[in-house]
Amino acid sequence: MRPITGLFTGRLPEPPATLRRGPLRANAFPSRLHDPRVASLLGIWLGIAFGVCFLTGLVSHFMQHPPSWYVWPSRPVSLYRVTQGLHVTTGLVCVPLLLVKLWTVYPRLWEWPPVRSVAHALERLSIVPLIAGAVFQLATGIANTAQWYRFRFFFTVTHYWVAWITIGALGVHIVAKLAVVRANVGRGRNSRQHLTDRVSAPEPPGNGLSRRGLGIAVTSAAGVIVVTTAGQWMPGLSGLDLLGPRRPDIGPQGLPVNRTAVAAGVAAAARSPGYRLEVVGPRPFVLTLDELRALPHHESRLPITCVEGWAADATWRGLRLRDLLDAADVPVDATVRVESLEAGGAYRSSEVRPPHARDPLTLLATVLNGAELDIDHGYPARLIAPNRPGVLQTKWVHRVVML
Amino acid sequence: MNGQVPLPRIHGQEEPGGLGRPAGPAGADSGTGTGTGTSTGLTVAAVLRVLVVAAGLAAIGYGIHGLADGRPATNPPNTTAWLIGGIVVHDLLVVPATMAAGFVLGRLVPAPYRAVLQGASVVSAAVALASLPLWRGYGGSADNPSVNPLPYGRNLGIVLGLIWACAAAIIIYRIICTRFSSNGKF
Repeated sequence: MRPITGLFTGRLPEPPATLRRGPLRANAFPSRLHDPRVASLLGIWLGIAFGVCFLTGLVSHFMQHPPSWYVWPSRPVSLYRVTQGLHVTTGLVCVPLLLVKLWTVYPRLWEWPPVRSVAHALERLSIVPLIAGAVFQLATGIANTAQWYRFRFFFTVTHYWVAWITIGALGVHIVAKLAVVRANVGRGRNSRQHLTDRVSAPEPPGNGLSRRGLGIAVTSAAGVIVVTTAGQWMPGLSGLDLLGPRRPDIGPQGLPVNRTAVAAGVAAAARSPGYRLEVVGPRPFVLTLDELRALPHHESRLPITCVEGWAADATWRGLRLRDLLDAADVPVDATVRVESLEAGGAYRSSEVRPPHARDPLTLLATVLNGAELDIDHGYPARLIAPNRPGVLQTKWVHRVVML
Repeated sequence: MNGQVPLPRIHGQEEPGGLGRPAGPAGADSGTGTGTGTSTGLTVAAVLRVLVVAAGLAAIGYGIHGLADGRPATNPPNTTAWLIGGIVVHDLLVVPATMAAGFVLGRLVPAPYRAVLQGASVVSAAVALASLPLWRGYGGSADNPSVNPLPYGRNLGIVLGLIWACAAAIIIYRIICTRFSSNGKF
């Protein structure tokens, strides 16, 4: 064991001291905020925040690309609203957390000697995917919520894979820094100072921001960001939603739209008098729009919950999906596919598994907030189910197929 | 605020001046967390560390594989450019800008109020950055007015105004406190 460990931790020769200039000089960064305790505390919060983003992101990813073992319930109705709202709000809160954290540890970029051992080199190397991934996730996430596409990759897929890189690098980083954190945080930290040479020195006097002041500033920044953006999904806060890309009550019929009929290329087909709803099962049938309207309607109060982190409540009226499936003799344990009039695209159709297909709240809605469905909300009929991302609430539905 | 009173130095280690304590038997260093200085061999904690690092490396590999395998959607050259671009923008733009702002504040603003301005600047910059595409008018689509529907320039102005009103209130409070204490009325 010893020789192997020695290979990794054995000290490498130090570069000549004449190279130690500029930012590499001793005490080149004199601010008292470059402190291991400050960095540790920020790191803990950032680690928690990234953990929340990763887990809520996985929930959303698996919901849209479900593996066979993934069972997502249809209740509670607003579960996805909370997981995805948390995903986006936590991501936004990471902006001050990440930038201030990077600031506190910035002198480490210029540490001397640059490399002490092989293990030290590997640890420093693992910072590259961590910072690259973290900045990438925040930048692309924020751009996507504003539907600002300056990058030339498909957002959801790339954001998902970079999340794995980021969380993996975070795991390595946590192991690498655990000793520093334990020596600087917690009630018994004084007894753990032998774990590392990076122990917080008492705060020197200074004229600028103190460590506590920095903590207050970061907390305030996070608080202001939450208060001015969380209203896009959190009920009761929408009046304070000043800097969110959506407002739950702005859009046709008082509800935001993610993709318009024009953008989806269905404006003509959706308004065509030749529209038919086809239900394909053991006993298939076809309905005209008038026949569809004549069937018994039910009302559901359900939110549209978008992957972009906004959610808006609405009152829907329409046919219960399970009534349609029963009429077609579709078995209760069958999964169905709901197809839109769109010719192509990733969100042309969606799968509805039994928990949602059989939920009495799940409708093929034709009425929204007391009026006929707007074309941008999916006229003549759209799927609306509880606890399901908006991209799977297929609009302009013309076929329901048993799988 | 704290930190105004010189505190006794307990550890006496000036960060970059050298290691504050002698290196452990195996050249134990700060960064890697491997250097607990014990030579008892494999403890549970050590095994756990190895497992987490292995899982972390596996996750990184899984992510890279997914990016490479997800073509054309993932567009690896463009994704790589954005990944590296994030570090470049941070190191060459965000850090120098922060340093410059700190330098200017340090020159222009006297001591007890400088911290307030620094704090308010941190909050303002974070809020502005987190909503950058909105108040810059980036994104959205012409046919969908429900995306980015608010007057974000005005709204950011309101939020920043409130932040700086709070900062001004703290500064005034500090001025009053200093006056009273210097007049010996406390």
